[in-house]
Amino acid sequence: MDLNRTIQNLLKDRGRWGKVLSSPVSYRIVEGALALAKKSFPWQAIYQMSRFALHQTGRAYTGKVPVVWSSAFFPVEIAWGLQLCPFSPEVAAAFITGMGFGPEALSMGEEAGYSRDLCSFHRCIAGAARAGHLPRPAALLASTHLCDGAPLLFQNMAEIYGAPCFTLDVPYTASREAEVYVAEQLERLWHDLAEATGRRPNRASLEEALRHSNGFRKNMIRANELRCRVPSPISGNDMLAFIYLFFIGQGSREAAEISACLAEEIEEKIVGGRWGGAEKYRLLWLHLKPYYSNEVMSFIEQAGGVLAYEEFNHIYWPPLDPGEPFLSLARKVLAHFDYKPVEERIRVIRELAEKYRVDGIVHFSHHGCRQSTGGSLFLKEALQEAGWPVLLLDGDCLDGRNEAAGGMLTRLQAFFEILEERKEGCLI
Amino acid sequence: MITAGIDVGSLSTDAVLLRDGEVLAYSIVNTGAQARAAAERAFEEVLEKAGISLSEVDTVVATGYGRMSVPFADGQVTEISCHGRGSAFLNPEVRTVIDIGGQDSKVIRLDGQGNVIDFLMNDKCAAGTGRFLEVMADRLELSVSTLGNEDLKAEGAAEISSMCTVFAESEVISLIARGIPRPEIVRGLHRSIAERTAGMANRLGIMPRVMMTGGVAKNPGVVRALSEKLGAEIVVPPEPQIVGALGAALIARKKRSGKAV
Repeated sequence: MDLNRTIQNLLKDRGRWGKVLSSPVSYRIVEGALALAKKSFPWQAIYQMSRFALHQTGRAYTGKVPVVWSSAFFPVEIAWGLQLCPFSPEVAAAFITGMGFGPEALSMGEEAGYSRDLCSFHRCIAGAARAGHLPRPAALLASTHLCDGAPLLFQNMAEIYGAPCFTLDVPYTASREAEVYVAEQLERLWHDLAEATGRRPNRASLEEALRHSNGFRKNMIRANELRCRVPSPISGNDMLAFIYLFFIGQGSREAAEISACLAEEIEEKIVGGRWGGAEKYRLLWLHLKPYYSNEVMSFIEQAGGVLAYEEFNHIYWPPLDPGEPFLSLARKVLAHFDYKPVEERIRVIRELAEKYRVDGIVHFSHHGCRQSTGGSLFLKEALQEAGWPVLLLDGDCLDGRNEAAGGMLTRLQAFFEILEERKEGCLI
Repeated sequence: MITAGIDVGSLSTDAVLLRDGEVLAYSIVNTGAQARAAAERAFEEVLEKAGISLSEVDTVVATGYGRMSVPFADGQVTEISCHGRGSAFLNPEVRTVIDIGGQDSKVIRLDGQGNVIDFLMNDKCAAGTGRFLEVMADRLELSVSTLGNEDLKAEGAAEISSMCTVFAESEVISLIARGIPRPEIVRGLHRSIAERTAGMANRLGIMPRVMMTGGVAKNPGVVRALSEKLGAEIVVPPEPQIVGALGAALIARKKRSGKAV
């Protein structure tokens, strides 16, 4: 019997899954169950991160601590520095989808008037929020860079909850003036957020958050360096789970500790010679993956493909200076290679493709994601010219209702056949 | 050495038998509701046509959307590689293959050796495919096989702007109600398919020679509309519907012998 399926069916009723999702007790129960299964986790870092995520989410639903919603690329160190409880609605949307309730949440968002052309993460959030399934925010934090739908959605959500929404306006071009402009906003925002949430701005606490963030950065760089080994010491699908730390953990002590554990475990595996298997195709994976089904990832694994590296796990920013918290967070935000002319993304992806010795590059083109998909044709052309086969895999991370799985798998298999032909000369 | 290729498509299932690189026989059957049964029927028919027994076939490769439903296949290869391989075998000068099948369409770029170097496949729906034409032919009280001849009678083309099968059908109903001659509606439909397919082909980049494969290539109206839209000559093999199965049989030969095809 498939336990997951049974639980999903039990909770399928619209009210029931929402009640379970929004009860802190659910998270305590699952956290306890997880502890019993600790040894079955292939990576203790993933176990620790799962517990951290459950603990944080459960805490957000208790109503005892001010919750702040933080959009995907907002420098969340600000929230940790005020000892608030950051919550990522995008991660929650992926979780809801992974649990099998995505179609219902999406439908609720659409019933509320959100167009089906809107990013499914945002539709899912809107649906779940309107149904009262997400934790009530004391404030919302959004940034205009990269995911430009988020500030508008968050403003909308702020109206529902009657909470203030703080939007960080990030200029497209990095310059000294831009750094100062963003830094000044962050400093103001930090004070305003403290006032809105009843916290006292404490510079030492913010500096500590930046030190934790630096710890996370350093550990992830170490883990990523270790991942250059061939064959890959850790599956890219496992590594995509650490998106949670990127979205919500930076600035927390836990993210620093979990990332340290990850790097140590990878190193131990390599030193112990206990890693790797046959790798037929090493892939560089751009953007995220489908969360409504594991079919695509399973297919890649069964075909002998590995995600040697993922764009989302890349550390692109310089170390933060706790002595200049706002300026260094501004530099971090402005350093993102996707928030620049496409040539910069091409440069970074080329470097990564070389460094991780990949055979091909897959760009998962999530519907509704203009920042990523908008430049994908330029990216493909440039990377092909440089010698890498590129697959633009059109799909949706959350909305599987319009996706023909067969078509997506056929594209992947055909791409693997191209890679095989390149390796073997004329395989077929 | 005898090898077979089975292409289980959404509308038809095709089988090709090869002996030392020469086509021995081929068969085309309707897929119907059971892909596996269709594959068996196509295979039995092609064996009968060639007058050989199952035991004489060295290797079978399956392709098409139902490629995993062929229990007697020794391997499965995508229709993208198979159409590429089959087209290059039929005409080594081919660099671009446009395959419009029953439920999807693909544009495939080949290198000089018949290897696929890039491809695009339509997503989401069956707009601009064989199924699209079936629905429209039904609405116009024609059979799919007569659409090409109907197009030849047209003096102009009706404007059909919708890509979606359902919306395009509504447009066709309106055109019928307005008394637009049937041949002009048919030509409009063919242009609509050409528009959609050319968009995909141009996105990938057209490189001559261009070959069109798949069942829709039997419709001269679509081929002409697409050729005009692309501004390129399109080569159509004598039996375009079996190119995928032919490619699969060639790949089976390669798998068996290790020789390039």
